Amino acid sequence: MSKTIFIVEDDLFLQGLEATKLKKEGFEIQTAASGKDVTKVIELKPKIDIILLDLMLPDMDGFEILKMIRKEASYLNTPVIVFSNLSEEKDIEKAKSLGINEFMIKSNFNLDELATKVKEMIGQ
Amino acid sequence: MEKDAEIKSLQEKNEKLIKLMSVRADIVSISAHQIRTSLSAIKWIVKMFIDGDLGKLDTEQENLMKKAYEDNDRAISIVSELLLANKTEDIVEKKYEFTEVDIIELIDDSIFDFSGEAHAREVEIIFLKPNRKFGYVLADKEKLRIVFQNLLENAIKYSNAHGKIFIALKEKNDFTEVSIKDAGVGISKEGKDRIFEKFFRDTEAQKKEAVGSGIGLYTSKKIVEGHNGKIWFESNEDEGTTFYFRIPNFKSKE
Repeated sequence: MSKTIFIVEDDLFLQGLEATKLKKEGFEIQTAASGKDVTKVIELKPKIDIILLDLMLPDMDGFEILKMIRKEASYLNTPVIVFSNLSEEKDIEKAKSLGINEFMIKSNFNLDELATKVKEMIGQ
Repeated sequence: MEKDAEIKSLQEKNEKLIKLMSVRADIVSISAHQIRTSLSAIKWIVKMFIDGDLGKLDTEQENLMKKAYEDNDRAISIVSELLLANKTEDIVEKKYEFTEVDIIELIDDSIFDFSGEAHAREVEIIFLKPNRKFGYVLADKEKLRIVFQNLLENAIKYSNAHGKIFIALKEKNDFTEVSIKDAGVGISKEGKDRIFEKFFRDTEAQKKEAVGSGIGLYTSKKIVEGHNGKIWFESNEDEGTTFYFRIPNFKSKE
């Protein structure tokens, strides 16, 4: 059975590129572009094997979204990659304190490299 | 009375400056984020063209796309350098706040921060962690982190693919010594006397990485010396460089 990636990204163009690439690599995809969207998705409790999390979203930041997701027992230990163009020390520190597995600066990676990292973390 | 008024005026100007610095830092951070978002989109789209995801390219088109990809990556590097220079300037100018700092924890954190970049460049970071705990130093943690991150980032940037970086600690009576060894491009003979100068970039570094601010080592030296420490290096062209720095140990009042 394919693994599922939950892409939380407000830029719909970038979200689309990420989703297209990762689908091609054989993953199932769930997407959300805001905290509100995330709430709607997790209410349905879909299987999620990894979360790809942007930090700047229109209604709340990625950290608040992650806390919200973690309140749901089935996602308590779901691995998380922060995939953002923010790179402030305070953001990286906060990410570590929330137990995030990887902090990737979007502009430093192409989509092949993103797919490789996801496969390393959860297989296929 | 006059002196009091002068002091008050200076305090007000200082507070205004601090607020302005904070506003400037926010503007830089937000602008960088927005620029990076656009550059990410360009990077991914151009890569799709190069990979043939949008149809086969002829040779000329492929070469042009590869050039566009390289130049876009260069722009991304410049944004990162600007952000780093901006952050470094702010931190270095702040007053030193000395506390007991666990240098092993700081090294572990920095390795985590750079693991993505090291992986992307196919460089392995090996921390030769000591068997027992030592390395509690008297330091300004934020500033010391900058020193270590500058040295680690340089080791990664100037290493060749599949290179290894070794980080080690030595305990001495009054200080802890850290070394970061790479097997990269090394520093030229001519560069060795100038490597800690502000804005200086060695020719070997420029050949390997076109973009760089040239303030990393200058800043690191300033910070280490602000800790009553010492920073030095050993290097040979094409063989690599080892940077060393030592920081006074924390001595608890008994």
